[in-house]
Amino acid sequence: MSRKLLEVDNLQVGISDDGVRTPIVNGISFQLNKGETLGIVGESGCGKSMTSLSLMGLLPPGVEWQDGDIHLHNLHFKDFKKKDWRKTRGKKLSMIFQEPMSSLNPVYPIGKQIIEMILNHEKISKKQARQRALQMLQLVGIPRPEQVLDEYPHQLSGGMRQRVMIAIALSCNPEILIADEPTTALDVTIQAQILELMKKLQVQMDMSIILITHDLGVVAEMCDRVIVMYAGEIIEESTIVELFDNPKHPYTKGLLESLPDINEQKEYLSSIPGMVPAPGDMPKGCRFAPRCSRVHDRCSQQPPLVTTESGSKVQCWLFED
Amino acid sequence: MHKQEELLRVENIKKYFPIKGGVFGNKTVQYVKAVDGISFTVNQGETFGIVGESGCGKSTAGRTIMRMLEPTEGTVYFQGQDITKLANDDMRKLRKDIQIVFQDPFASLNPRMRVYKIIEEPLINFGVTDQAERHRRVLEVADQVGISQAQLKRLPHEFSGGQRQRIGIARALISKPKLIIADEPVSALDVSIQSQVLNLMKDLQKEFGLTYIFISHDLSVVKHFCDRIGVMYLGKMVEISAKDDLYDDPKHPYAKALLSALPKAHPLQEKERIMLTGDVPSPSNPPSGCTFHPRCPSCMDACKTVEPILQPIGQNHIVSCHLYTAEEAKSR
Repeated sequence: MSRKLLEVDNLQVGISDDGVRTPIVNGISFQLNKGETLGIVGESGCGKSMTSLSLMGLLPPGVEWQDGDIHLHNLHFKDFKKKDWRKTRGKKLSMIFQEPMSSLNPVYPIGKQIIEMILNHEKISKKQARQRALQMLQLVGIPRPEQVLDEYPHQLSGGMRQRVMIAIALSCNPEILIADEPTTALDVTIQAQILELMKKLQVQMDMSIILITHDLGVVAEMCDRVIVMYAGEIIEESTIVELFDNPKHPYTKGLLESLPDINEQKEYLSSIPGMVPAPGDMPKGCRFAPRCSRVHDRCSQQPPLVTTESGSKVQCWLFED
Repeated sequence: MHKQEELLRVENIKKYFPIKGGVFGNKTVQYVKAVDGISFTVNQGETFGIVGESGCGKSTAGRTIMRMLEPTEGTVYFQGQDITKLANDDMRKLRKDIQIVFQDPFASLNPRMRVYKIIEEPLINFGVTDQAERHRRVLEVADQVGISQAQLKRLPHEFSGGQRQRIGIARALISKPKLIIADEPVSALDVSIQSQVLNLMKDLQKEFGLTYIFISHDLSVVKHFCDRIGVMYLGKMVEISAKDDLYDDPKHPYAKALLSALPKAHPLQEKERIMLTGDVPSPSNPPSGCTFHPRCPSCMDACKTVEPILQPIGQNHIVSCHLYTAEEAKSR
């Protein structure tokens, strides 16, 4: 049923100072199946954005690919040169970002920015590309697309800009769409519109989506499977229903419990004490141990990744037999 | 526990920002009607929530109430006193009783000031000249919000978002205010930290009998934290109600849509969505009649021309929508 499309194998990404390696993403492995929506959740600084940027070959200066590989079909991202990345980006994998205003170029009209992307990847005439751009704008539900083609990003609202970003990202039929907090900057009513649009287009264009977010509500809405990250590691991986019904890792549990529930009234929210450790200052063994309510002796050693009966994976000593 | 004593009464407050135009840029061509006539009361010890989407004027409302922005029109009574007419000097003294906590804990703390100074400064402004007394108060407040003595010597950049927000709360708390306006205090924080800060605010409320005006766009946080809630749209309050009434049975079509747009709490939950089309119109040129009518799924003819007013629709529940005025007229 599930066909493997993308595989991340022991990916390690980090900064290097005088030969001292400080990993930000610390050896993570996961796979993405065809047609599914995979959620990556975690709080700020857990490495979820770095993971997505390494998938796109867009790591910021100073951050280096330290170990591991990513496979897509017969491609091995580790050996990629600039030229290979350029061929892959947009064509096979595409990405949309949190802040649509800062990811669109403010001095070019919308149409030009979509056409640029299409002409980069396909051998068609400018006129055909413009036609395609128009179709894309219609597809993402932009009203009066003919005019919008010649308008500038500042003339559009936040929700419309995010639609334009989606149009650009999907203009070359990518197999995988990476959405990094696509609705965080938007209001709830607009968020609902954008999520709905992404679901519709996923079916229409037969894509897989990697959705990176801190919002568990969005995850519940969109995803089939979820990866929970903490301090640069994957601590839990399971199906969406399993995650909400039966969270395993103490961090996942804490995270779900600290959400205010609209159907239930509690005087106090439960919270996780302390805060996320800094990359250079990770605790030995389990990285969540200093904040964990169920910490015990063994937690000072690196916990194993255990596959539970339900098929979900959890990195915690509590589940080792 | 709640004394039903009125602490703050806001009456028809408006804040218009002029848009300058003309040849020399000194002619006012238009106004942005950020807050366009809102009224509500806040009782002693309660938490009043203001929700709405970006650009609805909720932050401007918060700031106008405490006269960080001068209201264009309308009055604000604080403990029965009309504070919109107070001279600047008297207003400054009154600010001891009304404090604000801001959204962005990175931008609202002076990066060159040590935390001790940041927390102490309001006391100096309010004329506490005894240094020993100030020192005692700073330590006390820092302890209440969970900042250690050693941390007081540090600079803001050495703290995480959640801790900075604690500093912001300590700064607001030190003058022993009666009312704290919290403008999106947890929006910039991660969920696990968000719950820490919300719990802290609740503790402080109990301990000091604080009254909060809690401004937020996050409906589930507002539901958790507030007693009564006002929903704002385009500078106006469209519905004000006790929270359970609002969440169980929202009346205004905008409030309905807003609540239905919330993401599911569980992946298997069935949810009926009211999808709003379009975006919030510009407050410089709001639609005629009911400002929500171009996006409203139950828009009638009257909505396009006649502006609805807030009317009671049950106990502690008021709504401004023609759907309910029509109903009432029919039943008469």
